[in-house]
Amino acid sequence: MMKRLFGTALAATIIAFPAMAEYPEKDIELIVPYGAGGGTDTAARLIQPHLEAILGQNLIITNMPGAGGTVGATNFAKSNADGYTLAFLPAGTAVYQPNLRDVAYDENSFAPICMTINDPVGVSVGPDSPIGSLDDLIAAAKADTISAGTASPGSIPHVGAVLLERAYGVKLKNVPLENSAKISTAVLGGHVDMTADLVGNAIKFGLKPLAVLADERLDSLPDVPTIDELGGPPIRLSIWFALYAPAGTPQTIVDKLSESCEAATSQSAYQDSVMDANRSPHFMGSADLSDFFQQEFQRIADLFMEIGLKK
Amino acid sequence: MLAHLPDALSLTFSWNVLIALLAGSIVGVVVGVLPGLGSALGMVMVLPITFALEPAAAIAVLVSVYACSIYGGSVSAILINVPGTPQSAATVMDGYPMAQQGKAALALGWATMGSFVGGMTSLVLLVLVAPELARLSLNFGPIEIFALILFAMTTIAWVSRGSMVKGVLASLIGVFLGFFGPDEMTGQLRFDFDIFALSGGFALVPVLIGVFAISEILMQAACMKDASVPMVTAGGFKLAPWREWRARWATILRSSGIGCFIGILPGTGATAASFIAYADAKRRSPRSANFGRGEPEGVLASETANNAVSGGAMIPMLALGIPGDGVVAIMMGALTIHGIVPGVFLFHDQPTLVTSIFVLFFLANIMILVVGAAGAGLYAKLLRAPISLLMPAVALLSFVGAYAARANPFDFTVAIVMGVVGFLLRLNGFPLAPIVIGFILGAPLERALRQGLILTDQDFLAFANRPIAAFLFALTALVLIQPYIKAAFRRQKGGTK
Repeated sequence: MMKRLFGTALAATIIAFPAMAEYPEKDIELIVPYGAGGGTDTAARLIQPHLEAILGQNLIITNMPGAGGTVGATNFAKSNADGYTLAFLPAGTAVYQPNLRDVAYDENSFAPICMTINDPVGVSVGPDSPIGSLDDLIAAAKADTISAGTASPGSIPHVGAVLLERAYGVKLKNVPLENSAKISTAVLGGHVDMTADLVGNAIKFGLKPLAVLADERLDSLPDVPTIDELGGPPIRLSIWFALYAPAGTPQTIVDKLSESCEAATSQSAYQDSVMDANRSPHFMGSADLSDFFQQEFQRIADLFMEIGLKK
Repeated sequence: MLAHLPDALSLTFSWNVLIALLAGSIVGVVVGVLPGLGSALGMVMVLPITFALEPAAAIAVLVSVYACSIYGGSVSAILINVPGTPQSAATVMDGYPMAQQGKAALALGWATMGSFVGGMTSLVLLVLVAPELARLSLNFGPIEIFALILFAMTTIAWVSRGSMVKGVLASLIGVFLGFFGPDEMTGQLRFDFDIFALSGGFALVPVLIGVFAISEILMQAACMKDASVPMVTAGGFKLAPWREWRARWATILRSSGIGCFIGILPGTGATAASFIAYADAKRRSPRSANFGRGEPEGVLASETANNAVSGGAMIPMLALGIPGDGVVAIMMGALTIHGIVPGVFLFHDQPTLVTSIFVLFFLANIMILVVGAAGAGLYAKLLRAPISLLMPAVALLSFVGAYAARANPFDFTVAIVMGVVGFLLRLNGFPLAPIVIGFILGAPLERALRQGLILTDQDFLAFANRPIAAFLFALTALVLIQPYIKAAFRRQKGGTK
């Protein structure tokens, strides 16, 4: 078995070397660690055709769902670093999960290629809620218990709620729901009072967004202020999606992919399709993303340590 | 909506769209018939192809795969005792006995017409009252969902033929399997025994493949020389006479209603709907005693309900952007990539497109009849193959299905182990359907209970303060005590005589 594995690895190396000059020369597998049709899968499929056109090869998406994306990411981390297996991971899988649980990958397992989408988180309430502003919300939370629709501890809506609690010194009743659709339904139906989730969902589901946790207002929500404008604490939270190769992938391949990704994400057809889906296109190349990835990893590690979630 | 019909029709009636519809229907039936492939996988398979099509053709492919795959599952349920899709798990109970009695063609007829009527009823609701129904579904929060799933759990009692204790035990196996993997509320891993493969828990399809398909193959292998097991032969496709349909109109209506209702609500889905409709029909039907022995009404209830879910599940998806089940979630992703973003503004912003979705869904349901009738001859030919060739082919396809659900090699092991478990349970007279009910409902029931307890500050009795929940609790109690009341009445009657 070992011998065969070694043989395969050797063969892969030998084949990979002459191939590097004209990478890619065959189909590339793209692991998506969530099911088809979900937020991660959609984000991957939006960039897929543009990247295929530029690379001149097929990107074959394999949906490998399970355990917050860690099943797919673990399989990916173990795959050959030859540029023919890539993964499209949301921040939750790449950065949050390794800090929450024992998984077989960490901040050094991946070679970040490019960020394609960066969806800011916003604070929203139901359309008929008497709460009309972030100040109202905090006042309501101070006066009485209000409930926040979140997901499991360490998920982005949960981290959003925790950051608000800590910044404003309030306590929210944390109701963990399964996913963003369930959270939005619960807010719409008045079963929970608020949520700190993707602000794009607020547009899609008709929630009332109060503040955006980002540097700037969103083009799609020009009337919704940033938390800084409201004089609030500088909380920043977003769900970002990026393309990765396994660590150890030759730099030339990573560079080539990063350049191709830049070309793909700068196409207006791509940007329009992303914005139509209430998402925010955002490119960051390999070098910048590597720094950002490490910073985020550390920030989340520190935060989880403080709130007692660090593994 | 009518105002946009001419535009929608002109969008729909082009060769591209109609060919797409036909192709989607064939793919749908094929993935439905083949054990383990199912609606979700069919949808994923056609997903990349739809990107090359214009929106109307893409929608045609998606809705026809959806509608026809739900129907397709009934074919293998009836002919080889293996539900082709989870949604048809309830169809096995009466479909296969019918086939054993030589009434396979009739069973296919009931299933096909039931699927068609169920789909059409849900379409009518979708067209007429989608936004209103979608708003209504928002009243179902965790507490109401808990009450609904609790009610759905009572179906275990109705599908447990023979020993009730064995039925309950089988359902507990299913519930227990649902506990594996991450607890979605705390993120903790349960029962992973530090084995990575268990960290994602069990997926429905491999479990189902094991319990139904692999165990059936083992059973056939064990009984191969046993002449007392009747061979199933299919003789095409036959509709029952009109009076038989008329006698069962109430079941058709009620199963359609149950399917639509379950489809609209989040958290349960088509598999649960078909079991609920089956149990409901069995409770009410004058032919109740014949259920499980090849009563057409069982097939009819299950197949009408699961197809009624299709339109029902599209209601919150189109009106609110909230998918009613996993398959519709994939469809929603596909629409999103086409720049059609389901959400509160879709009806308002793109009325023509929404109307064309309705038209295409209408045509997709008609395609159920077309491919249903046309395919029957083919199945008859397939079934003429010797069992020693047929069953290994089923085994191979089953493993493909088990693996394809989430590209995880561990699922082969799951299918094999569950196959052996299912085989042993069959030998000892345990019903298998409760395993599926326990598996699909156990984890959501627990989750809804815990979410509800958080909302009420750990006060379970406060659940009954919610009117919808209180109603469903009462219904659950009623359904559970009904047999005792009936029996008491019968005793009294007997006593006074």
